[in-house]
Amino acid sequence: MQTFAVIPARGDWLAAAASSRVTLVLLALLAAGIGATYALDADVTFALSAPLGLLALNLAAAIAANPVFRRNTALLVFHLALLALVVLAAAGRLTYLKGQLELAEGEVFNGQLTQSEAGRWHRSQLERAQFANEGFTIRYEKGVNRAETRNGVRWLDDNGALQRAVIGDINPLVLHGYRFYTSSNKGFAPVFVWHPTGGALRRGTINLPSYPVHEYRQALEWQLPGTNTTLWTMLQFDEVLLDPEQVSQFRLPEKHNLVVRIGEARHELAPGESISLPQGMLVYERLSTWMGYTVFYDWTLPWLFAACLLAVASMAWHFWQKCAAQPWDGDA
Amino acid sequence: MNAELQLLWLALMLYTLAGSTAIAAAVLAKRPERIILAVIVIGLAAHTVSLGLRWERLGHGPFITLFEILSSNVWSLLAIYALAYWRVPAVRPAAVVVMPVLFLMMAWLLVTSSVAGHFPPTYRTVWLYVHLLFGKVFLGTVLVAVGVAGLILLRQAGLRVASLTQLPDDVRLEYLAFRFIMVGFIFESLMLVAGAIWAQDAWGRYWAWDPLETWAFATWLLLAFFIHLRVTVRLEPWRSAALIWAVFVLAFLTFFGVPFVSTAPHKGAV
Ligand code: HEM
Repeated sequence: MQTFAVIPARGDWLAAAASSRVTLVLLALLAAGIGATYALDADVTFALSAPLGLLALNLAAAIAANPVFRRNTALLVFHLALLALVVLAAAGRLTYLKGQLELAEGEVFNGQLTQSEAGRWHRSQLERAQFANEGFTIRYEKGVNRAETRNGVRWLDDNGALQRAVIGDINPLVLHGYRFYTSSNKGFAPVFVWHPTGGALRRGTINLPSYPVHEYRQALEWQLPGTNTTLWTMLQFDEVLLDPEQVSQFRLPEKHNLVVRIGEARHELAPGESISLPQGMLVYERLSTWMGYTVFYDWTLPWLFAACLLAVASMAWHFWQKCAAQPWDGDA
Repeated sequence: MNAELQLLWLALMLYTLAGSTAIAAAVLAKRPERIILAVIVIGLAAHTVSLGLRWERLGHGPFITLFEILSSNVWSLLAIYALAYWRVPAVRPAAVVVMPVLFLMMAWLLVTSSVAGHFPPTYRTVWLYVHLLFGKVFLGTVLVAVGVAGLILLRQAGLRVASLTQLPDDVRLEYLAFRFIMVGFIFESLMLVAGAIWAQDAWGRYWAWDPLETWAFATWLLLAFFIHLRVTVRLEPWRSAALIWAVFVLAFLTFFGVPFVSTAPHKGAV
């Protein structure tokens, strides 16, 4: 006995792939994927990329096969814009960067992030996005509710000219496509000068834990550069800096001490005081501040915006034509 | 009681009066439409002054606390319904469905604390206003669609009051409701875009699947599904009406439920 496999003609395959019933199933799958990851608090990537990828194929097939898209330009433009959105979002996911960094007052960003995640094909150009933190002011409303953040920054533009700006809250600094935002993460930064015996002098800061979130944990362990010596440093002051009963501002304490523990030895330093160590001399210079930034890079942003506008405009155009062609209470 | 709350009470009383009259008019097929509209407009005026006084006093608009969000949405939903009531006579009997929904929101408003909330610095942007405006038009047009859809469902359930029997057939009513859905869908899309722009400025990302974003997207997806279902299969009007209700329920939960049970960034983290 002979059997004949039924091989669908090319048109049938395309029609099946373009089926609007498939669209319905895929839209439901997408919703289910999003719902499941939301309920389970899981990573959303696969639950999104699989149905979105299939929807994009389904849509591409429909655009090729379904004559409605040749008759109706608005509908065609709308669906093409949707397709562009999916492609752009995917490209964005492959090339984006999101990270965090901290800069003490006066410090220049050198491309080092404390935390980051990036798309597989992100090529970092962060070293080109150099800027310096010039210090900040933050206002607090009653109840220590954070209000405006104003952070001065400076950088050199492409012509080597010095530029200055105040960023904060909804105003990021944008350099070479990298968007730098101030964050709620900020705090105190003691400035030290380290004179190693026979070596060159080095100035540096340590960023104590974020204030006021970690108000009662203003301590940090760190290593003296070029040595094995570990120091434990704690900031000590008595004032109430941010009074919940009043409007206030982030500021340095008027009077403070720095507790420095090295092994069993404990020192209390006021600004200008120093400790002699076998490897050199450590001077506590003064107290300063640091600001935490988030950085975001995604070259697709303006294109996504354009695709969104195109999608909404063409959808409105399509609906307009539809309503004009068929009055709701006329003969169907 | 201060002027702000007195005016709000006055507005709510006028809305209740106009709403009850509109329901009675729909049931009895009477036509006191001009009076109903006039009472709603006076109520809206009092409500507008109340919202304005609060805005002036607190230095921010009605979009921080549940009280403010309910109040401003009662205002916008009524304004949009009144507009539809005025321009599209077939929408008038839908008061039977729309008004009880608004009454529930007003009752909820009355038992909600009017204490001021904290206005986060990330809210100082024009995109917030654009986002909220689009959102309000979206919810308003879906509410009108829900009213018309409710009429289809009431007829399906066998209710035979005069104004229902005088209305065009279910197929036409469904298309009328769908017209409002189309407008709503455009505005929901715009709301999502404006929200994403704001999120990019405020939190350094345009979309992060926080609870509010996820719920809003689910509503958008359900609408996309509904629109395609409608062109793919022959959908009986009552099924279409039920789907419009589902969209509204999802949108309602997104607007008034999610922001107040989650502590995600949309609340403006400290
Ligand atoms: C991804 C696969 C998709 C495919 C294959 C597809 C296909 C189609 C087709 C063939 C039509 C024309 C129906 C007709 O008038 O005969 C249509 C209409 C439409 N589609 Fe899609 N679509 C897709 C995704 C989407 C998505 C995600 C949306 C988002 C909302 C959307 C929104 C619309 C709208 C608004 C209409 C007009 C419906 C009407 O005139 O009542 N489509 N789609």
